[in-house]
Amino acid sequence: MTSASLSSERPNPRRERLQQLGRRALWRLAGGILVLWAVATLTFFALRLMPGDPVLAILGGPSGNPTAETIAEATREYGLDKPLPVQYALYLGRLVQGDLGVSYSQHQPVTRVLAEQSWPTLELTFTSLALAWVLVLALTVLTAGRRRWVGTLASLAETLSAALPHFWLGILLLAVFAFGLRLFPPAGSDGWRTLVLPSFALAIPLAGFIAQVTRESLDLTLDQPFVLTARTRGLSDFKVRFKHALRHAVLPGISLSGWAIGALISGAVVIEVIFSRKGLGRQLFQAVQAQDLPLTIGISLVVAAGYVLANILVDLLYLWVDPRQQGNAS
Amino acid sequence: MSELTLDTPLPAIRVQRTANKVRLGPVLAVTFLFLLIIAAIAPQLFAHSDPLGIVPRDAFHPPSWEHWFGTDQSGRDIFSRVIYGTRQSLFIGLAATAIAMSIAIVLGLLGGLGGVRIDRGVGWLLEVLFAFPSLILALLFVAIFGSGIGPLIVATGLGGAPGYARMVRGQVLAVRNAGYIESAKALGHPPLRIITRQLLPNAMRPLIVTLTMGVGQAIVWASALSFLGLGARPPAPEWGTMLSMGRDFIANAWWLTFFPGLFIVLTTLSTTVAGRYLQQRLEGRLS
Amino acid sequence: MREPAPYLRLPGIRSRSLLKTTPIVGIAALCSLLVGCGQGTSTVARSDKPVSGGTLVYATDREPTCLDPHVAGDMPQVFVGQQYLDSLVSMDAEGRIGPWLAKRWEVSADGLTYTFHLRNDVHFTDGTPFNAAAVKANLDHMANPKTQSSTAGGYIRQYRSTDVIDDDTAVVHLATPYAAFLEVLAQGFLGIESPTALQRPRDTNCESPVGSGPFKIVRWDRQSQVELVRNPDYNWAPPTAKHQGPAWLDRIVWKFIQEPSVRFASLQAGEVDVIEALPPESHEAARRNPDLQLIIAQRPGNPTNGTLNVTRAPFDDIKVREAFVRSADIDGALKSVYFNEFPRAGGPLSPATRFYSPDFQHAQDYDPAKAAQLLDQAGWSERDSDGYRSKNGKRLQVHVVMGNRTPPSEYTLWEQVQATTRQAGFELIIDQMSDVQATKRQADWDYDIRLGYWNTNTADVLRIIFGSEFIRPAGVGGYHQNTAGFSDAAFDSLIQQALATQDAEQRRALYFKAQQIASSQYLQLTTYPQSTRLGIYKTTQGVRLEPSLAVTYLYDAWVNK
Repeated sequence: MTSASLSSERPNPRRERLQQLGRRALWRLAGGILVLWAVATLTFFALRLMPGDPVLAILGGPSGNPTAETIAEATREYGLDKPLPVQYALYLGRLVQGDLGVSYSQHQPVTRVLAEQSWPTLELTFTSLALAWVLVLALTVLTAGRRRWVGTLASLAETLSAALPHFWLGILLLAVFAFGLRLFPPAGSDGWRTLVLPSFALAIPLAGFIAQVTRESLDLTLDQPFVLTARTRGLSDFKVRFKHALRHAVLPGISLSGWAIGALISGAVVIEVIFSRKGLGRQLFQAVQAQDLPLTIGISLVVAAGYVLANILVDLLYLWVDPRQQGNAS
Repeated sequence: MSELTLDTPLPAIRVQRTANKVRLGPVLAVTFLFLLIIAAIAPQLFAHSDPLGIVPRDAFHPPSWEHWFGTDQSGRDIFSRVIYGTRQSLFIGLAATAIAMSIAIVLGLLGGLGGVRIDRGVGWLLEVLFAFPSLILALLFVAIFGSGIGPLIVATGLGGAPGYARMVRGQVLAVRNAGYIESAKALGHPPLRIITRQLLPNAMRPLIVTLTMGVGQAIVWASALSFLGLGARPPAPEWGTMLSMGRDFIANAWWLTFFPGLFIVLTTLSTTVAGRYLQQRLEGRLS
Repeated sequence: MREPAPYLRLPGIRSRSLLKTTPIVGIAALCSLLVGCGQGTSTVARSDKPVSGGTLVYATDREPTCLDPHVAGDMPQVFVGQQYLDSLVSMDAEGRIGPWLAKRWEVSADGLTYTFHLRNDVHFTDGTPFNAAAVKANLDHMANPKTQSSTAGGYIRQYRSTDVIDDDTAVVHLATPYAAFLEVLAQGFLGIESPTALQRPRDTNCESPVGSGPFKIVRWDRQSQVELVRNPDYNWAPPTAKHQGPAWLDRIVWKFIQEPSVRFASLQAGEVDVIEALPPESHEAARRNPDLQLIIAQRPGNPTNGTLNVTRAPFDDIKVREAFVRSADIDGALKSVYFNEFPRAGGPLSPATRFYSPDFQHAQDYDPAKAAQLLDQAGWSERDSDGYRSKNGKRLQVHVVMGNRTPPSEYTLWEQVQATTRQAGFELIIDQMSDVQATKRQADWDYDIRLGYWNTNTADVLRIIFGSEFIRPAGVGGYHQNTAGFSDAAFDSLIQQALATQDAEQRRALYFKAQQIASSQYLQLTTYPQSTRLGIYKTTQGVRLEPSLAVTYLYDAWVNK
């Protein structure tokens, strides 16, 4: 990451830092827009390359018997009779104005589909991330640097968790807690109770992954001279762990969180299918199957945008949290 | 007394506490991997039934002495299918990681060595690829090129490449100013030789662990795609495909999904543990 | 430097900090357990007397693409449509057509003019009165290419126009005689919607269509559910219904739960009251469960099948077709894949279809010896190195083209067909691809077998799937309903004669001959009849399946919660 040599410039180090953050954010945003353009283009041509006539996808599949007029009408309506570069230009034009088109399979504006389906996925993603971090913090902070067998056991638990495929874990949780013990509903998107099992299915493997990294980092940090210094100053073990060591130790974990959000969104595709949840993941999967071009592009763009934003935020958070960047003693 | 802050990156010193790892772990892991490789090469040694042989009257038998993992909806022996699936899964994992690594090395070298402009360009390309969460990238890829082992491998490889590329680039940047590189340059060695003999090996060494674990991750990714129906098509005994086909019967016949999943877990676990052990040996920590 | 003495103090501190966190965690766990435990088993008094009020939660597997069944026309649409739409005529369990929105009707001697005398006390839930103009608006809507009506529009190809004589009389003109006209009018696909609502853009009408039925649509929460509430003014139920007047239920929540195991688990837990498409693997558990009741009815039409393409080798030879059909052990497959819950369908019509003849039920029985004999006679007597039959060096290969959304159980069934026909020497290759690609292969006639079924309440389905006029693609897309490519003048004339007469006995005789031809030509490998399978929780009674398409009918249902 960037190296901020703040010790050389005394006046207004805080403002310097904010300015620097601001500039970085702007630069990243500009890059982000370029990324989105590339995503839209890639997806557009990718889906156009798919074999098969999209008109039939629009007309509801093979069970219908559309007449020639019906097909001509649909072709005209969706602008599929124009040459490809023209379609692309038209598409980009509409995109810039915020018009994502009409979904072929759902016959409603893509923006509406996105509005309805985004929230459950966001809910799931952030709940899973929060839950993962809770698990990580609980496990590593309490157990790092203690007796050997505690650490070993915890490390084993983490490695095992990280190795669990989320779709398998999801099915098992479903079978045991929803079908078997009937503690949680097996399907649905409303209410916190439908969120529990899907979140755990996503959080546990992620927690295992982040915990491994954080544990190692924490172990290294706890051996650092400054930690020893803090101890000799008489600080309680708790304070040492949370206030001082943790701040250094979570840095790798935080930078992983950006990647983690992407992994969670990917995981959401499968988890939403397994738990019959509303959401962008399942919607994207169905859209690709139905060769619904506008909806696929729409969801890809939203996901890409969200991911870019999340990474920018994580980047900034990293700079903020990293005590090495601070000019003042904490 | 002011608190000491860290001005240098964390030094790679570790208190000799014999690491938080039981020695038994790596042994088990390596043994399991070894068995897996044998199963991949010669499945007949372990499995006695035809993984594709349909025996409708034997459908849905629970695990027993005759069928260790039970039978599936067409009466096929699940243990045999899992063993035969090893070949598929390991091949997919290795091939995908190889593809990912190749792409990553190219991009990483370009970014690390090519000067600021090229680095920016590569960084931007990586951002674009990164903006697609890997599964979605793989989804789109498979959607265009169809399902099957080939597209599955490439899709999984593409999904993993950006992550590795970033790491390779970071490592190349870290290593390129090292002492031995400077001296090699001073000695007048051709750049290509420096890259292949000095730069790459030293840059890649810390990544070996990541790679080992990466094979496990690639297997999981490929299984996820097959689980969604986009990878190996049934009746291929690929672990993800088996999970997908057994999902409907989870209430009646849990063994259809449990055992293939268990093997995925064990494989990933083994690659992770073995990878860590490898790292520690390479860095000379364990005596 | 001091010894790391702090480490020695850790046990005390650790237990203290843990003590702080444990109570919170413990209470949370206990709470969730309690909440979980508090749900589910409630004793409910069963009564045979309908109770007014309450909400019924219904779970189905597929979500419709549009709530207006005129557009496109798939089964999920007609299931929802049956609750908020009425039809012009009704059909009873014996297949007889009775009145509904039309009190009575006359058919002209040449079969080209239908005069409907309509009820005058009906209005739609948006206030628009029901009259002859409404009938005209609806029929025109179905026939209009802009509506993109595949099913309804396809059924009334013969429709030309409607004359509005007065408010209560509508005269419908057809281009050719169509004895099945009244039968298709009884289907929910051709339900009558409010003409005012029909004037809105198609996609708006898809969201919130308006009918005159016992319920009206309130909201469609995509990917989740449709909400319907009672129509308080309803007073024109068909004679096949069990009561008259408004429906018993206040509200219906029509949920979409795709996963069969999840759907069944929701039923068992009492979270939903009725589920559709009860998975075959759960039938046994459902029967053993005293809280659950099953309703199973077969649907009329053409059963689930693999249709053979007779226009190209190897299926252009009838001996090979028969050999293939006889070498597939469908009964064995149905026992394992469908847990013996689905009966075998042997003929081209499903037993629930009017004019079905049971004489062809065993024409497709498993007979590998006969298959071997036929193949030898047809010249496929050599075997190549892999054990498949071959003729002049060419292997006996058969391609089955399947879409992506073919359910796994269906796929497994064809895997078993693959295994059993292999023993006779067929190499069956299952090509699975996206639906759009599959349709393209279909349009190009590049397949040997295509999976299909056709749910309809008339034996006229034989014309659609085997009549030569349906070989031509319906439109530019190239999709042709006659997947087999069968073209036989005698068959065509039989079917046309059956359409030209209104006499039931004559039609029965004609359709018998048609079934005979279709069966003896081995045009399809029929597997099992389509069916509707409902699982009903103890809170709910009165759920029925209406006779025309075996569609769920909740008008007479009530809940007691």
